[in-house]
Amino acid sequence: MEAGSYASARSITAMDEAALIRAAQAGDQDAFERLVRTYDQSVLRLAMNLLRSPEDAYDIYQEAFLRVYKNLRNFRFDCSFHTWLYRIVTNLCLDHMRKRKVRRTESTVVETSSGPVDLLDSVAEERAHGDPQRVLLSRELKGKIEETLGGMTARERMVFEMRHYQGMRLRAIGEVLGTTEEAAKNCLFRATQKMRSALGAFV
Amino acid sequence: MNCETAKEQLVLLAYGELTFDEEEALEQHLDGCLDCRADRVKLERVAGLLEQGEPVAPAGLLLRCRRDLSERIGAERSGAGRWLSAGDLWRRWVVHPPLWARPLGAAAMLAVGFLGARLVPADSPALARMGVPQEQPAVVSRVRLVNPDNSGRVRVLYDEVRQRELTGALNDDHIRRLLLTAAIDPADPGIRVDSIDLLKQHCSNDIVRKALLNALRSDTNAGVRLKALEGLTTFARDPETRKVLAQVVLTDDNPGVRTQAIDLLVQNKQPEVAGVLQELLRREENSYVRSRSQKALSEMKASVGTF
Repeated sequence: MEAGSYASARSITAMDEAALIRAAQAGDQDAFERLVRTYDQSVLRLAMNLLRSPEDAYDIYQEAFLRVYKNLRNFRFDCSFHTWLYRIVTNLCLDHMRKRKVRRTESTVVETSSGPVDLLDSVAEERAHGDPQRVLLSRELKGKIEETLGGMTARERMVFEMRHYQGMRLRAIGEVLGTTEEAAKNCLFRATQKMRSALGAFV
Repeated sequence: MNCETAKEQLVLLAYGELTFDEEEALEQHLDGCLDCRADRVKLERVAGLLEQGEPVAPAGLLLRCRRDLSERIGAERSGAGRWLSAGDLWRRWVVHPPLWARPLGAAAMLAVGFLGARLVPADSPALARMGVPQEQPAVVSRVRLVNPDNSGRVRVLYDEVRQRELTGALNDDHIRRLLLTAAIDPADPGIRVDSIDLLKQHCSNDIVRKALLNALRSDTNAGVRLKALEGLTTFARDPETRKVLAQVVLTDDNPGVRTQAIDLLVQNKQPEVAGVLQELLRREENSYVRSRSQKALSEMKASVGTF
C-alpha cells in the first residue's frame, strides 16, 4: 500500500535542497525552477486526486507555487520544505473542496465540441477498452470509489490521499495538516473503514 | 488482543505504521483468528482495487502548468509597482496629452519608428514576437578546450545548445527523428507520452516499433508504457513484440500495464501464452490481474496451475 511519488520527490538530498532553497531565496531563478521540478509532479498528482479535475489541479499548482515564490524569503527552515509546500497545497485544496461543497452544483460533465463529456471518464479507463464487461465493472468500481471519497470529510480524504497514494508517513501528514499523528491515524482508520465497506462487493 | 483492536491495527499494519511490538502482538492474534485473517485479505484486495480509481492527469498538463507558472513568475518579477507608475505616465502623456504636445508627439513617434527599426538587433526577441524568424541565442553546454596564446588572446572550443522550432508532417523524417529523441527524454514524462502517442500512428516503421518496445520495456512512467502498448496493438503477432509482452506481463509493477499486456498477448493464443499466464498466476497479487489471466486461460482451455 505504498506509493512512489513522495519517495521520488525526496530523491534530492536534504543538503542539496537546503542549498537550493538558499539560492532561490537569494533570487536564483534556476534554483527556484529546480525546487519546483523536484516536487511539482507530486503536487499535481495530489491536487488531481483530491479535486478530480485537471483544471482545478492546474489552478492549485499555479497558486501554490506562486505563493511559494512570493513567500520563500520568509521560509526559515523551521520544518522541511516538503512539509511547508504541502501545507500550502492542502490548505488550497481544502478551501477549494469547501467552496465546492457550498456550491453543490459542481459537475464533472463539461461541454465540448463533440458534446458533453464526463471528466471522470478520463480516469485510466483506456486499458478496459474492448471488453464491455470490464468497462462496466471498471466504471462501476470507479463510481463507487468516487462516491465513497465524496462521502469522506475533507480531512479524512486528505489523510487517506497522502497516506495511500503519496506514501507519506502519518507523522509527516500530521505536520502538514497541523495536527497530531494520533489524529491523522484516526482519520486514516475512518477513511479506510468507509472505503472497505463501500468496496466490499468488489472483493 | 481482541478482534476490535486487531481490526483497527490491520489498517496500520497495511500501511507499515505499527511499531515492532504492536506488529508482533497483531501477528500473534492473526495466527489464532480466522476472522481477522480474512479481514486482512479483504483489506489488501480493497487496496488493489483503489489503484484503478486514481485519476490520470491528461498528457501535457504538467507541461502546461510549468510553462504558465514560468510566465506568471516572470510577470511577478517585473514588479507591479513599476508598471503602475509607467501606467500613469502612459495615461498622462500618450492617451490624454496636453494640446501643445500633440504635434511634437506625432513627429517624435515617426522619428522613433525609423530609428527603432535601424537599432533593433537581428536577434531581438521583439522580432520573434512579430513573427520574424530568428536564431535563438545558444547556451554553452560544455567547454572542451581553453588555449591561451602569447598575444594575450584565448582560443576556446565549446559545445552549444540552441533552441529551434520545427513544424512538419508526422511522416517527415526530421520530425520523426525528433519525436524518437523526445520519446526517451528523461526529464519530462508528459513529453514522452505525447511523443509516443504520435509515433504509434507510424509504427509500421521498424525504428518506431523498436522505440515503442523500448518504452514499454524500460520507461519509468506507466502512462508512457500504456501508450506504447496501444501502439503495439498491430504487432501482436510479431515474435519480438510477443517476447517483450511476456516479459512485461511477468515483471511490470503497474497492474494496468500488466492487464493491457495480457489482452494483447492473448489475441494470438499460441502455446507459450498459457505458460506465461500460469507463471503469472503463481506470483500475481492483484485480484483483477489474476481474474483476467484466469479468464484468458479458461478461454484457451488451459489449466490455471502448473503440474
